[in-house]
Amino acid sequence: MSLRYEYAVETEDLAKYYVMGPVTVRALDGVSVKIRRSEYLSIMGPSGSGKTTFFNMVGGLDRPTRGKVFIDEVDIASLDAYELAWLRAKKIGYIFQTFNLIPVLTAMENVTLPMVFTGVEREERLRRAREMLTRVGLGERLDHKPGELSGGQQQRVAIARALVNDPVIVLADEPTGNLDLHTGLEIINLLKTLNTEKKVTIINATHDLKMIDVSDRIFWLRDGKIERIETRAEVAVKEVE
Amino acid sequence: MSREEGVKFPLSEAFSFSLESIKRRFGRALVTMASIVLGISFLTFLLTTGRIVSVLYGEGSGVAVQFYQLWMAVIALLICSVGIVNSMLMSVTERYKEIGTMKCLGAMNTHVLEIFLIEALLLGLIGGGIGAVAGWTIATVWQAFTQASPVNIFMVSASLWTEFNTSNPLLLLANPLIGIALSVVIALLAALAPAYIAAKLSPTEALRYEV
Ligand SMILES: Nc1ncnc2c1ncn2[C@@H]1O[C@H](COP(=O)(O)OP(=O)(O)OP(=O)(O)O)[C@@H](O)[C@H]1O
Ligand SMILES: [Mg+2]
Repeated sequence: MSLRYEYAVETEDLAKYYVMGPVTVRALDGVSVKIRRSEYLSIMGPSGSGKTTFFNMVGGLDRPTRGKVFIDEVDIASLDAYELAWLRAKKIGYIFQTFNLIPVLTAMENVTLPMVFTGVEREERLRRAREMLTRVGLGERLDHKPGELSGGQQQRVAIARALVNDPVIVLADEPTGNLDLHTGLEIINLLKTLNTEKKVTIINATHDLKMIDVSDRIFWLRDGKIERIETRAEVAVKEVE
Repeated sequence: MSREEGVKFPLSEAFSFSLESIKRRFGRALVTMASIVLGISFLTFLLTTGRIVSVLYGEGSGVAVQFYQLWMAVIALLICSVGIVNSMLMSVTERYKEIGTMKCLGAMNTHVLEIFLIEALLLGLIGGGIGAVAGWTIATVWQAFTQASPVNIFMVSASLWTEFNTSNPLLLLANPLIGIALSVVIALLAALAPAYIAAKLSPTEALRYEV
């Protein structure tokens, strides 16, 4: 992985408005941030503050009303459909609250799928999927379908799937939202370990305060705006006070 | 970004993905296929009966029978099309979330469309094949029993044999083949609209959709 760019993600005055009849919801309203490579970042804020909207815009899953998103210094609005698909396949890994695994595919098949789109050789695909699943602790569950796995195990499959193409960024939207306290903590620690090991940038939208302990920085979002940005040290100091 | 870096989804991958998808959702595939099998077997039954009757009683009688039967066949096809359209629509919409996920993993609109059209093609071929064989067999056996005089049976088999040997072997299979071809066309047309709409959804729209 090259370290040519200091920032994995930059946004410039990013905004998304939803017009619903007479009402305009400003889901995201002028967010300008820079996210460094290999940073572990959490985006926190109350329900409806725009976390998921931010996730969608940065991930190239939806178009902003205004503003720009740069991934590796490329403005993603300038990409054609072909390049955008490549961005999603190769540069970004997605993790969702509801896991979003393909129900009819086994853990192995779910993890190999992104490598189909990036054109990895069949043998290599299987090798890497097995390695990645073993890495997240599911070496014994390769041939299980999502329905045969617990929530925590499904999220591990999703994490393996998100990381198997060695992305620059992993975007997670409430990855622990559907998990109990203990399992949630395991997932948080797994993400942190992978962040350190693979130097992958991790961006987490979350309500989960456990996430603060592993985050390098925290963006506090309110009503679609960045309220404040804190480092872990600053949050810790405040807790002591 | 150079073109070598672009996403790939060769036809062979699309084909095996679609095939697996049918196999593993066999219940759903059966529902879709049931209406195809019924419609096509009825159509083939009518066409084959008309053919046999015209062999037995001469071309003239066959034309009259066939005209009346063709009319019934059209109605049967319309009813079966409604069934197919409905089950295709269901099977696409219940997979919106999967489509959204695939798009996050790098699938392009054309790839999504490909997957669904190949599935429709396979369902059309299999369903149409079963329906055509069933319709043809039932018609032939039925005629053999109801028209059962040795002379008649001899005439039918002799004429089938002649067709097979002299003119064109395909004539013997014409009715089942018409049935299968129609089945594939109807299945593809039925899948086209919902698949096209689904393929064009943005990942967020597709993911938000709850069945
Ligand atoms: N597709 C949409 N159409 C209309 N309004 C939307 C849409 N998506 C989001 N919104 C609105 O935008 C605002 C921000 O929503 P968003 O989903 O980003 O919040 P969130 O911070 O992720 O909340 P939560 O913690 O509950 O997941 C909300 O007021 C929401 O109602
Ligand atoms: Mg959300």
